[in-house]
Amino acid sequence: MKTTPLHGWHVEQGANMAPFGEYEMPLWYPAGAKQEHLAVIKNAGLFDTSHMVGITVTGPGARTLLQHCFSKDLEHCLGPKKNPLVAGRAVYGVFLNNNGCVIDDGLVYEVLDHLYFVVVNSGMGGVITKQLEEHSEKVLTAAVCDLTDTLGKIDIQGPESAKILAKILENPAKVLTDMPYFSFKGWFTDEVEGVEPVRLKDGTALLLSRTGYTGEFGFEIFLEAEKTLNVWQMLLETGADRGILACGLAARDSLRAGAVLPLSHQDIGPWPFAENPWLFALPERDAGGHFSAKFIGSEALEAYIAEEYTLAFAGFDPRKMVISEKSFVCDSEGNRLGIILTCATDMAVGRLDDGTLVSLATSEKDGRPADFVPRGLSCGFVKLTKALNPGECVWLTDGKRKIKVEIRQDIRPDRTARRALKKMV
Amino acid sequence: MKELNELNFPDDVKYTREHEWAKIEEGNVFVGITDYAQDQLGDIVFVEMPAEGDSFEEGEEFGTLESVKAVSEIYLPVSGEILAINEALEDEPEMVNKDPYEAWIVKVKPADVSEFDNLMDKTAYLKLVESEFDSEPDSEPDSEFE
Repeated sequence: MKTTPLHGWHVEQGANMAPFGEYEMPLWYPAGAKQEHLAVIKNAGLFDTSHMVGITVTGPGARTLLQHCFSKDLEHCLGPKKNPLVAGRAVYGVFLNNNGCVIDDGLVYEVLDHLYFVVVNSGMGGVITKQLEEHSEKVLTAAVCDLTDTLGKIDIQGPESAKILAKILENPAKVLTDMPYFSFKGWFTDEVEGVEPVRLKDGTALLLSRTGYTGEFGFEIFLEAEKTLNVWQMLLETGADRGILACGLAARDSLRAGAVLPLSHQDIGPWPFAENPWLFALPERDAGGHFSAKFIGSEALEAYIAEEYTLAFAGFDPRKMVISEKSFVCDSEGNRLGIILTCATDMAVGRLDDGTLVSLATSEKDGRPADFVPRGLSCGFVKLTKALNPGECVWLTDGKRKIKVEIRQDIRPDRTARRALKKMV
Repeated sequence: MKELNELNFPDDVKYTREHEWAKIEEGNVFVGITDYAQDQLGDIVFVEMPAEGDSFEEGEEFGTLESVKAVSEIYLPVSGEILAINEALEDEPEMVNKDPYEAWIVKVKPADVSEFDNLMDKTAYLKLVESEFDSEPDSEPDSEFE
């Protein structure tokens, strides 16, 4: 099993460790996954995501290469006006094969004109690097470098994140301004010409990204592997009086499911990237169904005729269905409709008597009862052979138990990821 | 995860191979899950219990525990009729984590008290848990996090 630079710390803290891909990772710490999930909603949570992979793409052909391999129109992707990707901004998309099926999802960061940073999932560094290299032959002037296991990555997520981070940054007033959602600053080595560095008070250089995978306000921090443990401990100590908790992969899974975010190789995978809640990962289409940019897999998606539909759901109580060969989705009469992709429990939400979903983060003005105690709701994604509308119900079953769930447009209300930074510092 | 020496196994209850405990009081049997079981499951978020008056055989599934990690069946250590369920667990399932031996799940009127006597005592159960500790590195990854 591979380990991250924080592995010894996790074990020392008594984390429940389990294999995740090639790595042994913490599922939860002694506080438990429920408290960790709630900490991210109310205060802040710290995640070791060093198993994820950074790849650099450099050279005059870098942008052309990424445009070819990544599912975005890099000239029309930022904000409601669909502006071009520029230095200091990042976009989410997928890497597809020629059949329009998902190899992995990831973020592309434009650092400089000729320097891009790509972040993909655990174990995918080699595969995505190979995919980029194969196509770089056409571009000739781009170099691809797989940084697997050379970087540390810490995600600090939750409404207190900026306040905690501010205490350890060398220049917080300067760094924590003009940093909208999906923007970033700095680089994880000391000097890159043209990049304004972001440093901690102790001098550690960071790539600080206003992103995350919980649906909540926060940052992802990339840094040199050997500096990870020190920064991790610093954040925990500094954030202790603001309720920060170290969080494992279980909380990450329940938070991202409630935020309607897919887990690569589970909710998206070797089937066409279509008819799912994540089509924002693709360029806009014209009236004829053509994308505004071409990329690997775009033609297959343009020609795809829908056969399967991936939909988000939320249950009526915390009960889940374990995904196995026996589990499936059915209608009220037991007729098979499809499969369960993800089933987790979002511990911060509950339903009011009229069925409305309310989160701990919902304000009283927006309908959260003063005495609201979330019991949690099961939620996740199903892949069905029939398109259903939000509000319709299906049943998850393993042949024995049966749980009724509702097809939803959205799951956990009042998420904080897009809050203005100036309200959070 | 707790280390073996951090786990609590009281002397005054009996144990099953599936990690339930059973305690006899005034002829009735209270049933819950052990400290080891709750530690393995992680945060328990829902306890699905039978109805009062239901009858089950020894070893039969009578409910499920939902944890953040999985859904686990709970089996009745002795045959009998459900006299009561612990309704407090409906609102506070986390009681099973906090105090597994106080958080009984069902109270059973045993059909045959000798079944209770045949359950494991602390020494036998501790051996079982020790053997599971030794074999842990072989445990399978949880499907939800693959």
